[in-house]
Amino acid sequence: MGTYVLRRLLQMIPVILGATFLIFAMVFALPGDPLAGKCGERPCSPAYAAAFREKYNLNDPLLVQYGKYVGNLAQGDLGETYNNISVAEQLKNRYPVTAKLALISILIETIIGIAAGVLTGIRKGGFLDNLVLVSTLVLISIPIFVIGGLAQYFLGVKLALFPVTVTSSTPTVYQLLLPAIVLGSLSVAYVARLTRTNLVENLRSDYVRTAVAKGLTKRRAIGIHALRNSLIPVVTFIGFDFGALLGGAIVTESIFNIPGVGGYIFRSIRSRDGVSVVGAVTVLVIVYLFVNLLVDLLYGLLDPRITHD
Amino acid sequence: MRGTTRTVAVAAMSAVALLAAGCGNGGESGGSSSSAAGGQKGGEITVRGCNPQNPLVPSNTTETCGGNVIDAIFSKLVHYDAETAKPENDLAESIETTDNQNFTVKVKQGNKFADGTDVTAKSFVDAWNYAAYGPNAQSSGYFMEPIEGFGDTQCTGEGDDPCAGAGKAKAETLTGLKVVDDYTFTIKTSEKVSNLPVRLGYSAFAPLPEAFFKDPKAFGDKPIGNGPYKLDAWNKEQSIVLSKNPDYKGAFGGKVDKITFKIYQDSDSAYNDVLANNLDITDEIPASALIDDKYKSDLPDRNAQKETGVIQTITFAPTKVDPNYADPKIRQAISMAIDRNTIIKQIFNGTREPATGWVSPVVDGYKADQCGEYCTYDAAKAKALLTEAGGFKGDKITLSYNADAAHKEWTEATCNSIKQALGVDCVATGVVDFATFRSQIADRKMKGMFRTGWQMDYPSIENFLAPIFKTGASSNDGDYSNPAFDKLLTEAAAETDAAAANQKYQEAEALLAQDMPAIPMWYGKTTMGWSDKVTGVKITAFGTIDFSSVALK
Repeated sequence: MGTYVLRRLLQMIPVILGATFLIFAMVFALPGDPLAGKCGERPCSPAYAAAFREKYNLNDPLLVQYGKYVGNLAQGDLGETYNNISVAEQLKNRYPVTAKLALISILIETIIGIAAGVLTGIRKGGFLDNLVLVSTLVLISIPIFVIGGLAQYFLGVKLALFPVTVTSSTPTVYQLLLPAIVLGSLSVAYVARLTRTNLVENLRSDYVRTAVAKGLTKRRAIGIHALRNSLIPVVTFIGFDFGALLGGAIVTESIFNIPGVGGYIFRSIRSRDGVSVVGAVTVLVIVYLFVNLLVDLLYGLLDPRITHD
Repeated sequence: MRGTTRTVAVAAMSAVALLAAGCGNGGESGGSSSSAAGGQKGGEITVRGCNPQNPLVPSNTTETCGGNVIDAIFSKLVHYDAETAKPENDLAESIETTDNQNFTVKVKQGNKFADGTDVTAKSFVDAWNYAAYGPNAQSSGYFMEPIEGFGDTQCTGEGDDPCAGAGKAKAETLTGLKVVDDYTFTIKTSEKVSNLPVRLGYSAFAPLPEAFFKDPKAFGDKPIGNGPYKLDAWNKEQSIVLSKNPDYKGAFGGKVDKITFKIYQDSDSAYNDVLANNLDITDEIPASALIDDKYKSDLPDRNAQKETGVIQTITFAPTKVDPNYADPKIRQAISMAIDRNTIIKQIFNGTREPATGWVSPVVDGYKADQCGEYCTYDAAKAKALLTEAGGFKGDKITLSYNADAAHKEWTEATCNSIKQALGVDCVATGVVDFATFRSQIADRKMKGMFRTGWQMDYPSIENFLAPIFKTGASSNDGDYSNPAFDKLLTEAAAETDAAAANQKYQEAEALLAQDMPAIPMWYGKTTMGWSDKVTGVKITAFGTIDFSSVALK
């Protein structure tokens, strides 16, 4: 296990380097000149343009730019955006907010999703099963900005149960609750369906029948034997989802004006702010890699047949 | 700038909003009624803000996000009336000239910057010299262009660093600026400029304290101004906090003690916060709330709309880039083929005003119907005019726009209108984003027609003509050149009588109808909404909030 973890950690280094280079190359290959919109409808003055290009190394070839970037990165310097704002500073402020939002979302989707999945799985075909099937179908088919917009308007503006937008850079759990529910709603549906399908399948398998025949209570047979096996794909999904939530809560973050990283990446891509995109995504890649490692390790706990030696 | 993803989201959300509106709009009504006209003094308000693009230095701020803040914290020689945009002296005791070329400016005494230093003649001269000097790379430096000696302060080199070697600027200061005594300085322009005093209210002409020149970078983060408000904190990408400047002695002070610009990524969320009274003023009403004037029922007695100095135009590519549009008759025919009223009604819910000329109605010197019949929809006449010109030679008319903002709908509607009236195929072509769009125009690679907009820098008829249509002007995207037009502009600039100058400018504008270098589409309007805590919200002719009148109830 120890060597496995070590090997995986070492593998991350080339992956991170490769990923940052790819992102860097792609961002800078995008058409458009960061300067062209900088001075409104007028072209910028040559002196302004030159100073700008010099400051952000825009005159260098891609490889030299990347070299300079990695050089700074090695010293912990993530650079400045084209608006003269420190990227590291922004990421430091923004990642905790997004992480908090993602964690609350994951918590909601895990608890509600697995509970719904188990309840419907053991009473297949019943009223509850049908209810959950229909409601998850509705959740999956409605785009998140509609859910978000409706939730904000009715629960926030009309009923004033939740704050309409997040106003602080260190939001409380209460402020993030509504966005987190919105954000997690889609995944709740997936988790519930994944759990249900797997549970139904495993309940029919030989080892569960054997366990019940041996005299185990139904609760134990389902809880310990069937559910544990059924959770492997669910854990994979949740792990993936955590990574996705960390980087991609773009719509939710903009609806609720959350000062997180999703909107930041989106806006930076649009304003050709390569430096901040690469910085934010590099952090994201690292998070993804660690979550993946964690998921792989969890497999071993859920199913001892999967070993890492 | 709005994104394609966002636009889709906005479109879908407006459907939701429509449903929501149908479900009843009670709740907020009533609240305001007619409270005391002026409102109280003091208190604090929150206002929708956006991210400044550059450090907060007046001569380096060309966009509205930073401009709104700069205007609140810097007073200039001239102040524009919030209602009429008429210039009036602010820091200037007097600005005098006899020949439109030599100006003597007397600065009022006793005004101070927030760090306690005096606002003197030198504060202006130094600031303007700094703005003009090429190597300082200030984005509004070109505003100093009329002042004598501007050419020598510019870098002339090309390539990566125009300021290196032989390209180095010859002079560090403008020869046209001279400090006479502590509170008097003179301006000499290289040509006659009748509207120079009007221009001096633009933020590029703000004075700067000594502290700026010691450390411009630190200043950009925490500017020291001389305006009715001072900057307390700029939390990057979060908020900008202003508080009342206790040393302010001018006539245009504000009523509230503290203004916080809360930075929003999205106008929908700002609007919802206003509905819930979490935000006091939003200067941007989202498209979803403009549909069927939903904002009026959402915010009864708490909304306002006003025409601003903004015009949307469609410019033709220079003839050498695309000869198909060279004949003015073809251009006029296309303009006549556009049904502006219907497009405004259907796409903008009436939040634009059809243009009848190239100058915004908010400025002094505006004359209605300068474009005449060419800006009036008449399909039959348009077709006849096109036939007279020998028909359209190319295979189709193209109208390009930047796809990252909400231009798709109206450009397509415009094309449909042209197609139906003229029987020539017209295609609205999206260019990925504003930056790419502008660089294609600047490199003269854009063919056909493309959308152009102009937001006035200072309220003068000249600002809608000279920078856009004068031969070789900086924003002359269509390379329009007409010696008679240029001559009229020069003559107008030499007129010492404002009315006579305006008349010359109007004559010049009339020439545009003959040549049609750009099609006037509509004038902009700004719509605002506010919470039930504030009163006295007024929109300036620039589309900004007039902070001198806003107060708590």
